[in-house]
Amino acid sequence: MVASNDRLTSERPNRPQDRVDGFAPLRDYAAIGDGRTVALVARDGSIDWLTTPAIDSATVFGGLLDPGRGGSFELAPVGPFSVARRYLPGTAVLETTFVTDRGTVRVTDAMTVPADGLAPLRELVRRIDGLAGTIPMRWVVRPRFGYGAGSTRIERRGGVPVAHAGADALAVRSFDAGEPDLTMDAIAGRFEIEHGQSGLLAMSVAHQEPLIFVSRSEAEGRLAATIETWRRWSGALRTTDRWRDAVERSAIALKLLVYAPSGAVVAAPTTSLPEDIGGERNWDYRYCWIRDSAFTLDALLRLGRSSEADAFFWWLMQASQLTHPRLQVLYRIDGDPEARERVLDLRGYRGSLPVRVGNGAVDQVQHDIYGDLLETAWEYVRAGRRLDAEVGRRLAGAADHVTSIWRLPDAGIWEVRGDPRHYSHSKMMCWVALDRAVRLAEAGAIPDRSAAGWRNTRSQIEDFIWSRCWSDDKRSLVRSPGSDDLDAALLLGAHFGFDADGDRVSQTIDAVRRELKHGPFVYRYSGDDGLEGQEGAFLACSFWLVEALARRGSIEEAAELMEELVASSNDVGLYAEEIDPRSGEFLGNFPQGLTHLALLEAAFAFDEEAP
Amino acid sequence: MSVWGTVVGGLVGTFVLTTILRTASELRLTRMDLPFLLGTAVTSDRGRAKAIGYVLHFVAGVLFSLAYAIGFAALDRSGWLLGAAFGLIHGLFAGSALVNILLPIVHPRMGTPMSSIASTALLEPPGFMMLNYGRSTPVLSLASHIAYGAIVGGFASAVR
Repeated sequence: MVASNDRLTSERPNRPQDRVDGFAPLRDYAAIGDGRTVALVARDGSIDWLTTPAIDSATVFGGLLDPGRGGSFELAPVGPFSVARRYLPGTAVLETTFVTDRGTVRVTDAMTVPADGLAPLRELVRRIDGLAGTIPMRWVVRPRFGYGAGSTRIERRGGVPVAHAGADALAVRSFDAGEPDLTMDAIAGRFEIEHGQSGLLAMSVAHQEPLIFVSRSEAEGRLAATIETWRRWSGALRTTDRWRDAVERSAIALKLLVYAPSGAVVAAPTTSLPEDIGGERNWDYRYCWIRDSAFTLDALLRLGRSSEADAFFWWLMQASQLTHPRLQVLYRIDGDPEARERVLDLRGYRGSLPVRVGNGAVDQVQHDIYGDLLETAWEYVRAGRRLDAEVGRRLAGAADHVTSIWRLPDAGIWEVRGDPRHYSHSKMMCWVALDRAVRLAEAGAIPDRSAAGWRNTRSQIEDFIWSRCWSDDKRSLVRSPGSDDLDAALLLGAHFGFDADGDRVSQTIDAVRRELKHGPFVYRYSGDDGLEGQEGAFLACSFWLVEALARRGSIEEAAELMEELVASSNDVGLYAEEIDPRSGEFLGNFPQGLTHLALLEAAFAFDEEAP
Repeated sequence: MSVWGTVVGGLVGTFVLTTILRTASELRLTRMDLPFLLGTAVTSDRGRAKAIGYVLHFVAGVLFSLAYAIGFAALDRSGWLLGAAFGLIHGLFAGSALVNILLPIVHPRMGTPMSSIASTALLEPPGFMMLNYGRSTPVLSLASHIAYGAIVGGFASAVR
């Protein structure tokens, strides 16, 4: 059973923002997950996103991208209500408290993990507890398998409401939560809950296997086991002294993005949430980006999560094997290098089209990722791990590859679509790649036959950057040789120790702060990116600025900025990819791994740099 | 049909199968590495896993050849063509059930569809026909198993 909690909520209840044409603000969502997939729950109690069986599978609830066709699982009081939410401490189990004029009710939402009993392939549990008064409730499950394109049929099997389409099926069991009523496209129920009563809705999901009709006691048992599992996991975290809650929440957000069957970490569990409302900047982030790997491994190791770090490193080495020595920008969670992009026939979040699945960036050439890969390997070795001979040879091969490609143009860290260009950040990361290769060779972790060549090329890259990528006018590194545009990615020079003894990275920090910062938020770059529309400020860059300031010793300024950014999360401590600095509206896929990784790195920097 | 011939065929067939898959791996056609998959069931040390895995793989190759021998005896015939047919069935079974379903269940370090926040997998599961290890993997796996079967069948009928 769920531990009772007399405290109704951690915040004052307030009315959820009205939906616009069926769309809730992105800020209103909380994520629940089980290490295989993630569901997004809105403040009004509707689950508008769930993919099954895996985090990159098609949706069964995709109302986030099309409230009409996408499907959802609504659960809320009948009539007006105010809402307060929190995660149960140390977990990704969500507690939503609805306050109405007739009483108060609490809903606990979780994707459960297997425990005693016959566990379904995936299970979503919604427990309803009456806290005061008598509250009329309603729930509606609108399953739409296959991104709403599958022909989902609803019927009873052995008296249990079932929805199925092809190899996918789900069953909804209602315990003291109203008799299910079936229509052509929905399973729904109504009930009243009184103070002291509880009900339970359990949705089991099957894929290529028979459905499991769960019992209440087993579903309750799995809910309790899930809470216990999360608490055990978060209890073992090594957090920082400052911003402990934000660090723990970011660690849990990161854990939600780990696909446990393979160890891969996706960038976000959603696709096509727009960086520009109504615009075309809509991408599928349910892939593992090499770009994020160094931050991911570093964060996992610093958090004391060595098992996830090992699993991720193993996965990374296996996934990159087929394309060696060339790296792909991203890989599927099963290690497949294929991620062909296609467009779905959905309305898109608030009309933001196209809705894409797959990611065309997979075909891009990005040179910065070699720096990320070798930094990842260096972090792994520095933490006391050993590389086997084959992996060592492959990493040395990747470093050799860098010596032959660093002079070529690429798409850059921001995956600019259009003709390749020379990006200063890419050159800097090529320097990082060779610097770490030299260190790995010196540590005996990889073959050192080419080490002299790596050192030589490293010097050439450094000369190139300072002679071609520095602007005396801007007093900053610039986005591309000869341009006047700035790039917040160059803040990472402070993270990776580029120009460790000089002050030009420090001057670049000042320039970024001067020209790309809006309030506490930092835009990615100035200048054109070949796309229509204007995106929001990039939250990861904002945290990178915090880290860069902390690492150069501007501790007080960094702390003030960190406070503002921590306060800009949503009500449950999560972040999207971007934010509109004027309205505070979240933009882009959610929750965003890179943002939470950047928060973690910023917090770690304080632990290292603060007096 | 000779049982000893079948066993020798099993050893030679496993040698050839392993060589085909290793060569395909070096050519970046697949990430499948059967000795590695078997060895990591015993140890998480990658180097030792491969050494142990090769031993286990050859033991498995001999055991499978004995199963082939039972089939040859039941049909009262053998030969490279029948062996190749057995190899095709063997390869289909390995890709669809043995390595896809059974291995992840018994392998302590391999992820399964039921892996969750409560566990950490060190090895990605192979998937149906081991497609997770590369698009060419099913073809390579079937071809190498057919070669294995043909060798086992050929040795079974050739050795008296």
